[in-house]
Amino acid sequence: MQNFSFYSPASLEDALIYLSDHAETCKIIAGGTDLIPNLRDEKLHPRHMLNVLELEELGGISEIENTIRIGPTTTFAELIETALINRFLPLLVKSSSQVGGPQIRNRGTIGGNICTGSPAADVLPAVIALDGELELRSKKNGTRRIAASEAVQAPYNPNLGPDELLTGIFIHKLKPGTRCAYEKVATRNAMARAFMNLSIVLQRDEEGVISDVRIVPGAMMAFARRITVAEEVLAGKKPDEFLIAKAAETLLGDLKGVWIPDYKIPVFRNIFKRLLGELLSESCRNKERVYAD
Amino acid sequence: MQIDENKTLLRMCVNGNQVAVAVKPTWTLLRVLREELGLTGTKKGCEQGDCGACTVIMNGKAVNACLVLALQAESKEIETIEGLGTSDKLHPLQESFIKNGAVQCGFCTPGTLMSAAAFLRETPNPKIDEIKRAISGNLCRCTGYVKIIDAIEKASK
Amino acid sequence: MKKRGIGIGSMYYGLGYGYSRPDIASATIELCEDGSLIVRTGAVDFGQGSDTLFCQIVAEELGVAPDDIQIVTPDTATTPDAGPTSASRVAYVGGNAVLNATLALKQTLHGVAESILGEKNLVFINREVRAETSGKWISFTDLARACHLRGAQIVETGWFNNTTDDVDPYTAQGDAYATYCWATQLAEVEVDTETGKVEVLRVVAAHDVGRALNPSMVEAQIEGGVVMGIGYALTEEIKQKKGYTPKISLGEYMIPTSLDVPSIESCIVEIPVSTGPYGAKGVGEPALIPTAPAILNAICDAIGIRITELPANPRNLHRLIQEKGKKTMGPEN
Repeated sequence: MQNFSFYSPASLEDALIYLSDHAETCKIIAGGTDLIPNLRDEKLHPRHMLNVLELEELGGISEIENTIRIGPTTTFAELIETALINRFLPLLVKSSSQVGGPQIRNRGTIGGNICTGSPAADVLPAVIALDGELELRSKKNGTRRIAASEAVQAPYNPNLGPDELLTGIFIHKLKPGTRCAYEKVATRNAMARAFMNLSIVLQRDEEGVISDVRIVPGAMMAFARRITVAEEVLAGKKPDEFLIAKAAETLLGDLKGVWIPDYKIPVFRNIFKRLLGELLSESCRNKERVYAD
Repeated sequence: MQIDENKTLLRMCVNGNQVAVAVKPTWTLLRVLREELGLTGTKKGCEQGDCGACTVIMNGKAVNACLVLALQAESKEIETIEGLGTSDKLHPLQESFIKNGAVQCGFCTPGTLMSAAAFLRETPNPKIDEIKRAISGNLCRCTGYVKIIDAIEKASK
Repeated sequence: MKKRGIGIGSMYYGLGYGYSRPDIASATIELCEDGSLIVRTGAVDFGQGSDTLFCQIVAEELGVAPDDIQIVTPDTATTPDAGPTSASRVAYVGGNAVLNATLALKQTLHGVAESILGEKNLVFINREVRAETSGKWISFTDLARACHLRGAQIVETGWFNNTTDDVDPYTAQGDAYATYCWATQLAEVEVDTETGKVEVLRVVAAHDVGRALNPSMVEAQIEGGVVMGIGYALTEEIKQKKGYTPKISLGEYMIPTSLDVPSIESCIVEIPVSTGPYGAKGVGEPALIPTAPAILNAICDAIGIRITELPANPRNLHRLIQEKGKKTMGPEN
């Protein structure tokens, strides 16, 4: 690794000042599970390393009425273990459970998963499906918020200014009765990069009509986004297998630049139908699927 | 504390002992443990976080020492395999591994033991599936994991 | 759709190097004055347990405890050559060498004990040498001391030659290997036809090892080999580029994790071979060999597809499933 100077700020303010002073040559480290292999592979050559992992302001999970605030340095393990997340945002528990292995989950952070901008990220698609909002701060420009879906629109290129720090992730609690599901397809059952992942959030009214649905494929394209055209096929309708099939085709039609398409496209169609079908089934109490009921 | 233009003083607690060692910012905790502190029980497998041979317990959590920058370990409590048990007084997990044939070449063993130790502290009465998951970040080529899982289960009783 | 299948793989494996290639092992054993023993051999224990095995052999023959025996690890300065640890040969060839050294020492010890006790029929047991009929006995330690005081031969060498004749290159008749290991494994799999992912649910492995000198270690070899076989069949892949193997990490070269292993049942079959130490053969490589065939046969049983190229990872298997689907759908589709 090329040499860099390492700074552990005492406060968020200090961090922002440092970042502002060294914007072009600085990398931010939290859990380091993506960063350190990249440093070792000589893919990155920062001259300054800003260690944000210890900053209290960037940690913690709290409830502000109907919103949950998640500190970006919250680890995947912490998300899995926190009652608030299990109760109101179970999609984050399921997606975090699929990351790497126990050691990685003890260090890797939700903020890192967002800011690394990997097309194969396991948790960012779930945050997008939950309509998460990201709070960004810089010394020069203060605080702003963007939708999680705007965070990454090119691989490994998050939409953060060089002097900006992710300081909070805000997600509305899922309404009671909302169902969500997450599936990851990979070569083996742990420690594997996803071929694809899929997050679905679904709400139906008393008559079984779909009132809200969010569909976010991950590791399928350069970056993850909601496939609104497929969501529109389903919204406001009572679903049957023809509707699901139509939604699947609409979804696939909207995917751009899929890598290894002859594998990923047909498999993704199957995964989508399977996952949605399970979510819609009345008897769906499969413990593999998570609920906000 | 900056020592010179290249090195900073790192202070941490390793196996119950306060240590202070001069480190370069690019060094990982793994390198410091092995090369500076002579604690070579923690193994260097892939240095990418893919194999778990370098697993240590940091502030109670099993982590890959190769993915912790040394200076990130400032003021932390680190437990390595050397601290788990001694040849005079083995940890129950170590005894169980030996008794149940869970050690072959031994390269994955320190890391696997540390993952298991951290896990059993949180989950003292685990189910088999939980044990499998707890060591899913530790690759082993010799044993096929069968006797390792068995040894962890027996140690938990 | 998830489909299950069961498959069988069988194998036989020639132990050692065969085909007249040199295949020997040497070992020395030394009796110390306090009754402890030192075995020196170049055989490498890299975790499979040969050191333990040698200890067992000496303890068995001389009636001493494993703690009384020191196995000196391979050192070109001090240990005689025993050949490499490969070809599943160490228990058989190395074990025989250690056994032969031990038997030579035992003969010396027997002679000295005979002259002390005045009895011929002696058993070596529980750190004693005991006359069967009269019950007269001498402790092993005292016997060792006596041997030293009398200048008896207290260091012996044992040697075993597993080199075979050769096979006629034209008729293919002859003696390829001295002995063979036999095994059959059964695998039960579940194929997800929609993703191409295969879960191995269960493997039952029956291995003829001649004699299981240490059953736990034999099981451990079988379990390790089976999981290696699962990786070989389903996930491990290296693509050479223009004859070169590219740099590949453990993140890209996928070996099974603990969450990828099925239940594995070992059935140890013992058909002793007269040339092996106590009838033992080997199991290191045999453990790996039938697994992939069993898994591929199970996949065929599940979905009717014959796989001829490995790995049958999700991408490759899914492609075969798609191709089969197109063929069976017929021209009107």
